[in-house]
Amino acid sequence: MNLNRSFFVPVNSPLHNLNPLTKLALVFSMILPAFLSLPQLAPFLAIPILIAVFIGRVQKQYFNLLLKLVLPTILFMFVMQSLFLPGGETVILNLGIFDVTRESMQSAFYTVSRIFVMISSFAILLLTTHPSELMSDLTRRGLPGQFAYVIISTLQILPQMQAKAQTIIAAQRSRGLDTESSFRKRIGSLVPLVGPLVFGSLVEVEERAIAIEARGFTSKRVKTSLHEIPDPAFDKILRGILVILVIASFTLNLWLS
Amino acid sequence: MNIEITNLRFTYPTGLEALKGINLTINSGEQVAIVGQNGAGKTTLVRHFNGLLKPTSGTIFIGEWETTKFSVAKLASRVGYVFQNPDDQLFSRDVLTEVTFGPRNLGYEKAKIEELVQRALSLTELTDKTDTNPYDLSPTWRKMIALASIIAMDTPIVIFDEPTTGQDAVNVARIANVIAELRNEGKTVITITHDIDFCAENFERVVALSNGQVLLDGPAREVLGQEKVLAQTYVDPPQLTRLGKRLGLKETVTRQEEFLRAIE
Repeated sequence: MNLNRSFFVPVNSPLHNLNPLTKLALVFSMILPAFLSLPQLAPFLAIPILIAVFIGRVQKQYFNLLLKLVLPTILFMFVMQSLFLPGGETVILNLGIFDVTRESMQSAFYTVSRIFVMISSFAILLLTTHPSELMSDLTRRGLPGQFAYVIISTLQILPQMQAKAQTIIAAQRSRGLDTESSFRKRIGSLVPLVGPLVFGSLVEVEERAIAIEARGFTSKRVKTSLHEIPDPAFDKILRGILVILVIASFTLNLWLS
Repeated sequence: MNIEITNLRFTYPTGLEALKGINLTINSGEQVAIVGQNGAGKTTLVRHFNGLLKPTSGTIFIGEWETTKFSVAKLASRVGYVFQNPDDQLFSRDVLTEVTFGPRNLGYEKAKIEELVQRALSLTELTDKTDTNPYDLSPTWRKMIALASIIAMDTPIVIFDEPTTGQDAVNVARIANVIAELRNEGKTVITITHDIDFCAENFERVVALSNGQVLLDGPAREVLGQEKVLAQTYVDPPQLTRLGKRLGLKETVTRQEEFLRAIE
């Protein structure tokens, strides 16, 4: 069965071809100004984000994610913040003890814009970068291997356990286990499912540990990589520009406030 | 209890069309081996027999039951399915409880359950290990526990998914013995296997699948003799069969006795 093990969308686009570090720099050149520069800046950052979505040719997956995950989150936050943020004089709406003021709504709008920028830029990074490519590039630049392993396995553990659970459920149903009827029966049927799942996962962790150690995971020597990740001059220049832009946005903030 | 498959097609949610129009009848009491390359659709096909997968189009009847109209738990009373990896199904503290799980789910009487469990344990040579925790035994014995736990359900149809993978010669002989015993009891045995010698020695009928379709279907000797056609699904005939061909024997031989008789 073909289960999608990450968010990655395997298409060819200028964004896909960028070095992973450059993409990470792009993400932070969105997030840092959004959170640390003028609050008015954050909503405008939606423009480069939307452009990036189309350059990366991941519109379908991005808007899918936006609809299912991002929009519900930021809508909820917007409502809560509008209702509960104290201060502000211009009352727009009065709901019993709660006042929705112009100021609280404005502040809520800036907050959700920041959240939107953060989630969206990370989403685009994950949609256009294979997680193992990102991690091998970062480990090559000095990120500890253990750290990369933790991130990679976190990204993969859910889909893997899901696939394993499916097999176990199929095996136990084949032995006449009723998983389709009353709630009480279903609770009782959890035991035959959890046992093999937990045991199997422990065995898998041990096997994986042995497998990566057999390839010198904790070896202190400098490792070479079979898979070369290109880092052309264009990427280096772009990263330089991004650093300047981020500094400029901070300076702007200091200047105007 | 016959299995009647008509125009079976199945497409996975990912869009992969795994079965492309299968027509097959398996009669009560037949011993059928299903062979074919990886991805030919063998597991997808047998997962339809107990309703784990439902056809995209076409029908499957187990006796007079159409699989789409019954739950897997219900179909389990007619079709027993031994999964490839025993660790996907073993969860009990000891062998006896594990083997009792299936027949108890099917709601047999207490006395009958006891009898079925004892029979399954002796068939798989586990009688002296009833109090052991399955995970304290070697993988080959865990495979036998998985076999016993399905045999104890006393279903008229039993499916084995690659029973001999990773097993030593002694255990392969044990598994062959179990299959022979099930045949004597008049049960239908369907086995997916890549072990072509095991297939030649224990099965009367062989179905070769390729790319979601039936490539060959017939008595083992006829199917295993067709070296060129089998090559399409990356199956080699048994060594004895190929040797017989090279020696120019008139008939196709698949087993030792036949070979010895033919060269006399």
